[in-house]
Amino acid sequence: MNLLEPSKLALKSLFSNKLRSFLTTLGVIIGVSSVITLVSMGEGAKSYILNQVSGWGVGANSLTIHPGKSDSTMPELTLTYGDTIALRNKVDSIVYLVPEFIGKGQLKYGKKEYKPSFTMGVSSDYPLAINQKVAEGRFFSRADEAGRKRMAVIGKTVSRKLFGEASPVGERIKINRTGFFVTGVLEEKGAMMTFDMDDMVLIPATLAPLVLGTSKIWEIFLTLESEKDVPLAMKQVENTLLARHKKKDFHIHTQEGIIDIYNNILNALTGIVSAIAAISLLVGGIGIMNIMLVSVTERTREIGIRKAIGAKRNDIFLQFVIESVMITMSGALIGVVIGTGAAWGIMTYLKLQAVIAYGAAALACFGALLVGVFFGVYPAMRAARLDPVEALRFET
Amino acid sequence: MSGNNVVRIQDVKKIYRMGKMEVAALNGVSVDISRGEFVSIMGPSGCGKSTLMHILGCLDRPTEGKIFLDEVDVGGLDDNQLADIRNKKVGFVFQTFNLLPKLNAIENIELPLIYAGISLEERRRRALELLELVGLKDRANHRPSELSGGQSQRIAIARALINNPSIILADEPTGNLDSKSGAEIIHLFKELNEKGITLIMVTHDQDIGRNSKRIVRLKDGLIIEDEKVK
Repeated sequence: MNLLEPSKLALKSLFSNKLRSFLTTLGVIIGVSSVITLVSMGEGAKSYILNQVSGWGVGANSLTIHPGKSDSTMPELTLTYGDTIALRNKVDSIVYLVPEFIGKGQLKYGKKEYKPSFTMGVSSDYPLAINQKVAEGRFFSRADEAGRKRMAVIGKTVSRKLFGEASPVGERIKINRTGFFVTGVLEEKGAMMTFDMDDMVLIPATLAPLVLGTSKIWEIFLTLESEKDVPLAMKQVENTLLARHKKKDFHIHTQEGIIDIYNNILNALTGIVSAIAAISLLVGGIGIMNIMLVSVTERTREIGIRKAIGAKRNDIFLQFVIESVMITMSGALIGVVIGTGAAWGIMTYLKLQAVIAYGAAALACFGALLVGVFFGVYPAMRAARLDPVEALRFET
Repeated sequence: MSGNNVVRIQDVKKIYRMGKMEVAALNGVSVDISRGEFVSIMGPSGCGKSTLMHILGCLDRPTEGKIFLDEVDVGGLDDNQLADIRNKKVGFVFQTFNLLPKLNAIENIELPLIYAGISLEERRRRALELLELVGLKDRANHRPSELSGGQSQRIAIARALINNPSIILADEPTGNLDSKSGAEIIHLFKELNEKGITLIMVTHDQDIGRNSKRIVRLKDGLIIEDEKVK
């Protein structure tokens, strides 16, 4: 007997019980569509982050130095301005060096007060190092930085909050009660991973201890002459800082490393999501087995009749297994459609590009197939093994 | 041993175990049935007639004894081979019709041919022929729930006939029918028998039994009488 006839039989019986078939399928639909939605969103987020990281203007020729042994612990801030001077002297290939002191800044202009998301002390290399243009006025120079000139460069969001549409350049503001001149406005960058990168005030790194009350650095950013200088520069950074700190209380990232970290996080999330989906498929499968067992009991007489007129064990077995596989496969297909649609919808809503996870879709369908076979076999075997005489006697 | 025997059973016993008790439904039954006969198996309930019917139809195996269908010993066959015999050599007609409720008349009739691996076109052709034979051509697309008892039983008979079986086994075929429909079914059986089809019918109704050519009476798992109907 070929597969065509039992498939027709299975279809017929599924369609004659539409509501039950649909409810049985629901578990698989939810499982498969959620995998595809979440994995597609994860892939979309991944490609978005890759774009963002390269959009920082941070090339493969850059390094970042962070305090602490690794990313996993909340570090003690151990990097100082002195370290940056030493690095400038000892690392040959440095083109730009930007330390970032991050503090809290209370801004005041006249009677208006505002607290931006970021108040940072940075070096004069900042605009060049991360490819940040100045829309109006100018950034502080290296001489300004060394001379501890009270100059502030502000982002568009800060500018709007304090000055409305008027130009802020040349205005006097107070940052934590210290007077500053606004000398420039940064070109708008937009949001990055929900952070408003225009809600920012930059002051010379040399003033950070005084104004922000911190002499510790969150991050030192280095731009090297070329990508080829990365290995040697890493060694020189390491030696210089080890000589100064006497222990390894810092760690160095390359751009590749940063991308790796994001990828690791996203892959872990995808893994968790997939595990949840696998569990939901499993639960769906148990539901299917349950319904199939009920269905076998309900159709005992039908099975008896079929056997009486010549159906072999295999015919009955196939009919029920195919029914179970059809439930899971139709669930998987509906799930793929819904999941893809949902991923596309959500990503469009978030103004991100959806990356449809075809691999995940294929895997989910394959998983559904396995579930259908696995959980269909036992009920189908029960059906196939029924004794025809007893089955015919069965009263529903 | 005549080659004309469609059914030959020798000393068949069927013993059921109920806990520690052994109950003999058939206690050594031997009977020969030739091609073209119309036999009624009669007896009170519990006499073993249904068991005999199941064994004749290869739905069940005897505990002891031999069964030949078309001179083939079916005792040594496995489940699949028995299914094949049921499919090709036996046609069942049941008291409760046993049509599949979700299939229409013509689909019910052609069902055995699906398991015989016959193509859809051929199935339809043969099913339509039989539908005409039982006089229900206009009911081809009706479901069993839309058919009367007599019509349902005709469909069941058409189903039993579709694979040109050697015997038709009918278990109380009129038991669920009013007397008029019952008479029509018996009339149809007589017509079929005149065309040379071998019929074995289980019944406890004397009037029905008298319509056949031969009556085999069972009691307590034994044949107590085997006579030709005058």
